[in-house]
Amino acid sequence: MATLDYVWLGVLAVFQGPELFSILGLPIPVTLLMILCGFLLGIVVGATPGLAGPVAMAISLPILISVFGYTPDALLPVMGCLIGIMKGATIGGAVPAILFNTPGTPDAFMTTLDGYPMAQQGNAKKALRVAHFASVSGDTFSDIVLVICAPFLALLVEGYLDLPEKTALLILSLSFIAAAVGGSPAKGLISTGLGLLVAFIGTGADFYPRLSMGTEALSQGIALGPAILGVLIIGAVFHELAGQWRHKEVVSCAQPQNEIGSDRLSLGDIRKLLPYIGRSAIVGTVVGALPGIGSTLAATIGYTMGRRRHHKIGKPGDPAFGEGAMEGIAATEAANSSVSGANLIPVLSLGIPGNTAAVFLILAADSIGGFNPGPSVFKFTTDTVNPELVIAFGLFTAMFVANFLNWTIGGIFMRSMGIMARVPRQLLLPVVLILTLTAIYVQETRLEVIWFTLAFGLLGYGMRLLSISPLPFVIAFILGGKLESTARQAFDATGSDPFFLFNNPIAAVFMLLSIAIIFLASHRKPEQK
Amino acid sequence: MIKKRLYQDTNFVTGLVFSILALLLLFVWIPLDSDTGLIEKVRRQVAIGDALAPTIAGVFLLIGGGLLMLLERNGDNQPAMDSNSVIFVGRVFAMLVLSFLVMRYAGPLAVELMNALQGSEREYRLLRDTAPWKWIGYVLGGTIAICGTISLTEGRFSPRALVVALLAIAALIAIFDLPFDDLLLPPNGDF
Repeated sequence: MATLDYVWLGVLAVFQGPELFSILGLPIPVTLLMILCGFLLGIVVGATPGLAGPVAMAISLPILISVFGYTPDALLPVMGCLIGIMKGATIGGAVPAILFNTPGTPDAFMTTLDGYPMAQQGNAKKALRVAHFASVSGDTFSDIVLVICAPFLALLVEGYLDLPEKTALLILSLSFIAAAVGGSPAKGLISTGLGLLVAFIGTGADFYPRLSMGTEALSQGIALGPAILGVLIIGAVFHELAGQWRHKEVVSCAQPQNEIGSDRLSLGDIRKLLPYIGRSAIVGTVVGALPGIGSTLAATIGYTMGRRRHHKIGKPGDPAFGEGAMEGIAATEAANSSVSGANLIPVLSLGIPGNTAAVFLILAADSIGGFNPGPSVFKFTTDTVNPELVIAFGLFTAMFVANFLNWTIGGIFMRSMGIMARVPRQLLLPVVLILTLTAIYVQETRLEVIWFTLAFGLLGYGMRLLSISPLPFVIAFILGGKLESTARQAFDATGSDPFFLFNNPIAAVFMLLSIAIIFLASHRKPEQK
Repeated sequence: MIKKRLYQDTNFVTGLVFSILALLLLFVWIPLDSDTGLIEKVRRQVAIGDALAPTIAGVFLLIGGGLLMLLERNGDNQPAMDSNSVIFVGRVFAMLVLSFLVMRYAGPLAVELMNALQGSEREYRLLRDTAPWKWIGYVLGGTIAICGTISLTEGRFSPRALVVALLAIAALIAIFDLPFDDLLLPPNGDF
């Protein structure tokens, strides 16, 4: 089979997959419908302060698996829905940021700087249109880069890296994530160490499950769901609840002013915005391709670059950045949205999740089976069909379908979601808590997992309290088993060479880089952090 | 002033705690709770032992703790510790544990009560997928969890919290239980 045949099979897997129902004789494929559902749900949760894409993904995953089962046919509808949520939440986050000065998602914080002043000046709808246009443009650009880069990177890894180099690459990724996430390499290392430790409990090659303290509960190892959802979702809910309790916040939303002037984007406006969107999209894509670096950093860099450009070429009378410049919204939204597609480059090509959305895609693939994200996916076999490659191109197709929805109906749906910012968080968060715990239970059907999830929730809360990012924990927890098995194989394959990570030039470079990254990040001056 | 001083030391204390935990892990837990060492000899061939991977995790913790104490001790990322918030989260956690215990035992207790009143000998295990028995624990425990958490956060009990809890639980039953024959709400999978 040729490369284009695989691309075509992936497209067909989405458009000619299992049919859910038909309208006027036209079959509606289930994957398309799930992408639409996920996309709309994503906009709703993105527009609700206190919720975000990961919460919706955590809740949806067990329901989706219950509906579609554990067969390979379930992969595209389930992962398509998760991709829809990821994209919807990205644009939804701008709604409360612009209308109520409350970012729906953390990466929409920079959008408040110009979005809210625009709303106060009576240009709320125009600000939302700018945010939508910039967000979708950045996202589409990032997806194109993903489709081009991921297969090449995977082929490069498979072609040139052997077991020692792959082990060193995993260590380099962990070290990079520890150094880059959260602004403190020391805390990143602690988070990574905790994640690895939890991954190694109750596992190993020996008959006795290590670190299990002889208990039945620990001897089977820690399941992915309770640990990840506990630290990411329950921990975040505890932290938010504590914030609500401390401030006794009553959500008082400012009323946006009545619209002044046209709310449409003229051709002149678009021409003015495009250079900002283009630069931010490139920044976001580059930042997104590096595992662990979030969209918040991309938004900050994009905004800073945009402000510098605006300061240089801006005309007198144009609103400055921070005072309601639509270029500010465009620079921020294009940067944070272009992270989402590029974030899937390391997960699809290397099997290394770079953000929470990628973590949930791995969780879905792991739960359903039949698809193991990593370099082996992109094996272009000619004599037989590689089903994983078809799924990979199906996922790319799902991303473009979600982009199409985003261009067509995303803006209208997004602009109607202002009401979600009025939902009181102190009522919403406890419901999310029980919803998440129920979702975990229906999958595992043991009360034990609830205790584990609550315990990991406490750990997640403690980490947030100490300003330790939970993302390195989650990524290290996912990669821990893979790191150990690759290292064992590499050790055996090199004839039990204790220096197998340093005898090979590529592996040695990766290892030196791992050490250098931590060293350099630790010695940055405080003002640079 | 005292509070500021406390904030300035948070990184140091965190680093110290994690360094001690790492040392305990490396020198107590791993040696006592792994059957093979860092490396082992199997049929005259040297292989990686089960203790090596957790030792690497311990080294990550030790380096992280050490860097926090030495290089980031006076960093500007000192978290502001608020003991009242920790106590609040402790209360929410305790309330959640209590509500899940209610969830676990309410259904079987209701069946026992019915047996005592009607002289029947029914078992909850056989009724775990039959309405209304299958919902008793979930409705009671879930309502306590949601209503209790809202009340703790707002600092008072309100009828609104109870209504939100009951509506949310009804919605969750509609999402997870009514459309699926193969899903079991908590705690019914444990019977």
